[in-house]
Amino acid sequence: MDIFIILYYIINMSLNYQKYLQIIKESAIDLSSLDFLYPWDMVMVSLLLIERKDQPGKKIILPKNQDLLKYLKRMHLQEILKELAYIEEAEFDSVEVPEHYNLNLQELSHCKYRDEFDARLGHFLGMFLNFGMELNDAKLATAIVGELGNNVFDHNLGKWPTDVSGCIIAAQNFPKLKKIEFAIGDPGIGFLGSLKAAFPELDSDIKAIKKGLAGNTGRIGENRGNGLKYIQSWTIKNFSGMLTIHSGGGVVEVSEEKTSEYQGIKILGTLAQFVIYYK
Amino acid sequence: MIVEVRKFGNILNSRPSGREAVLISKQIINGSKDINEIALDFNGVEVITPSFADEFISGIKLLYPSSKIKIVGMENNPVIKEVLDSMEKDKDS
Repeated sequence: MDIFIILYYIINMSLNYQKYLQIIKESAIDLSSLDFLYPWDMVMVSLLLIERKDQPGKKIILPKNQDLLKYLKRMHLQEILKELAYIEEAEFDSVEVPEHYNLNLQELSHCKYRDEFDARLGHFLGMFLNFGMELNDAKLATAIVGELGNNVFDHNLGKWPTDVSGCIIAAQNFPKLKKIEFAIGDPGIGFLGSLKAAFPELDSDIKAIKKGLAGNTGRIGENRGNGLKYIQSWTIKNFSGMLTIHSGGGVVEVSEEKTSEYQGIKILGTLAQFVIYYK
Repeated sequence: MIVEVRKFGNILNSRPSGREAVLISKQIINGSKDINEIALDFNGVEVITPSFADEFISGIKLLYPSSKIKIVGMENNPVIKEVLDSMEKDKDS
């Protein structure tokens, strides 16, 4: 991956941080001034909405930009709003979008239970193939998705902080760049919450994410925890890609060249994204 | 003794599924005459995640410590080879 792509991501992440500070207005999420949202943003917005779902005055202010509004409808944001009882869901009724408006998208999917997620893996394999990946690459990308989803359910079962469980997924293909961004988030206990029992010395989200990436688990007495290590290895080695994990208030980004870490906005649970480049 | 792993599905994910597959395999293997060598045949499996693979293969090895456990059928699927090789390298290190 060349230096310009890395710089692009560093600048983009910094802008993202500013962007999220602007859109969060206590119990309201204000998207009114935005012109575009990436899969990472879509899942982030979903997590922010979950966090606020029981707050009085909860609200989402939808974008003024009509193209973005169509995009949000195509991404099935209204399904998430309906599920979390945001009344603004009704505003999407008047937005008309053909279902095949953009075939390079994977709309927001909320898999509440492990079985639901497992059942969708076949769909994701097909999605990667439709995006233009070769069969073996699509299979490996599906294994990465499967392992990320496993982590969500393995570490949060019986511990979900709210009554919303499971993972939320969104993806987008950028055919000209031959790049896929795949984001998966969960409103769970996060890396620190999961690892603290086994590693009580951990005192920050960033340290906890790095501990998890190094192949450690919070499940005391069980020989497991290497899944995330394989995911980052495959993302980087097989796809020249990048893995980003935002958990609690910490963000760690791993690429072939470097590992970056910085403070992000404080979120409930974890948001992970892998960006891969295909042949 | 050959265990056809594809009978558990062509996309194999999650630790609970891996554990269940071990329990079913135990029933199959225990009903066999020859358990000196157990071949886990991955022909027909499209995707396997490290969680399933770890739970399944480690579980079989634990149940049959004196049997020779062979992994076969990876030749046509480099992804399965990649997953199993990564796990093997990890155990060696």
